[in-house]
Amino acid sequence: MPELERMLSRLGEELAWPETPDLAANVSTRLDEPAGRPERPAWRERRARRLEWPARRRLVGLRRTLALAATALLLLAGTVFTAAPGVRDAVLDFLGLQGATVERRERLPTPPPERPLDLGSRTTLDEAADRLGFAPLVPQVLGDPDGVYVRQGLPGGELSLAYRPGPGLPRARSTRLGALVGEFRGDLSPEYLGKVVGPDTTVEQLTVAGDRAIWVEGAPHFILYRDPAGRILESSVRVAQNVLLLEHGALLVRLEGAFDRERALAIARSLR
Amino acid sequence: MEDRPPHDDQLVARAKRGERDAYEEIVRRHQQIAFRTAWVITGSAADAEEAAQDAFLKAYRALGRFRAGAPLRPWLLTIVANEARNRARAAGRRERLVLRVAEERRPGGAVPSPEAALLDFEQRDELLAAVADLSEADRQAIAWRYFLDLSEEETAAALGCPRGTVKSRLSRALGRLRERLEAADA
Repeated sequence: MPELERMLSRLGEELAWPETPDLAANVSTRLDEPAGRPERPAWRERRARRLEWPARRRLVGLRRTLALAATALLLLAGTVFTAAPGVRDAVLDFLGLQGATVERRERLPTPPPERPLDLGSRTTLDEAADRLGFAPLVPQVLGDPDGVYVRQGLPGGELSLAYRPGPGLPRARSTRLGALVGEFRGDLSPEYLGKVVGPDTTVEQLTVAGDRAIWVEGAPHFILYRDPAGRILESSVRVAQNVLLLEHGALLVRLEGAFDRERALAIARSLR
Repeated sequence: MEDRPPHDDQLVARAKRGERDAYEEIVRRHQQIAFRTAWVITGSAADAEEAAQDAFLKAYRALGRFRAGAPLRPWLLTIVANEARNRARAAGRRERLVLRVAEERRPGGAVPSPEAALLDFEQRDELLAAVADLSEADRQAIAWRYFLDLSEEETAAALGCPRGTVKSRLSRALGRLRERLEAADA
């Protein structure tokens, strides 16, 4: 064993661990409790209002020849997050799902300059299903996506579905798309996706058809990604539009667009 | 031979049959590693206790799905770590893990010469400071693998990552730790 690892093991033997409580006795007295006891009632009981989304046909197929990735815009990270330790420290609130975190800070750094959106390589839904470590979900109310992208590099890979702006899907300033759907294995990358919001952004915890979700709306806020060690990938930081984060089984699903909460929930509920 | 304590497998089989004392023995056997694994995430002993306790209850209810013959500890630690992460998030806060050395304890119990002790303490403090300076994910990986002596499989379980990626994650964490130690020396 190399020297550093030996030193760490030795250090481990000398650490002051808090005293281990007698869990066996406590667990034993609780074995008869009914399963599913709500541990965070506020989270579970606050169910999202269900709204019926009228069946509608989306006009697809028009101007399909345009390359979506080239028209989409993204904001460059620069060093805004690392250069402002004071801002970074002032975290007022913190929420999380499996695969994503949302934190509210006292104030946000200046938005980074724009740069093209990088969603990985373009492919088809069938090919994506072969390459990903999960079955892709498609929002049925939106129909077939106008662009399918896969990015490798995290366990199970990452899928992005891009939809052009259209009726009911206004163009988002952040992506210039009508809707952007992202999916990855949240269970394998517990903190891959991060949202950083300021005091004026609405953050709401919801339950969508039994799945935990977080709705983030209004005022500029950031989206970012982390490497496996939990560090922010500076080049991934960008300003985002309204976003719904949804924990669906092993997947973390992200919906981004200029749509409102009800529309986002209808899209989320139609994921199959 | 007859006095040998029962293997985890036997205890699991008995607990599945509804023998509560068998499950109590499982908890007693693994409560320390479960509690410390959770503490590495929560940084708070109270949260770690609740997380470990709830995890043992969840594991009891999920025992029917546990594959007979599979190692119990990685499975338990997956549930414990998930519970601890959920708790840390639901509480809306993250207490920074504060690692310190136990007083009055020296390796091997021997009293080193004053010079050797001084060097040892300096090195140790430097190493602790460098570990404290790592990102949360790196610090957790190192704490589980080296401080708690978890196997690679168990470290993967606690990290919630595939077993195949533990080696590379640990090696990157060690690399960053070396960088910090070298920077501190410079």
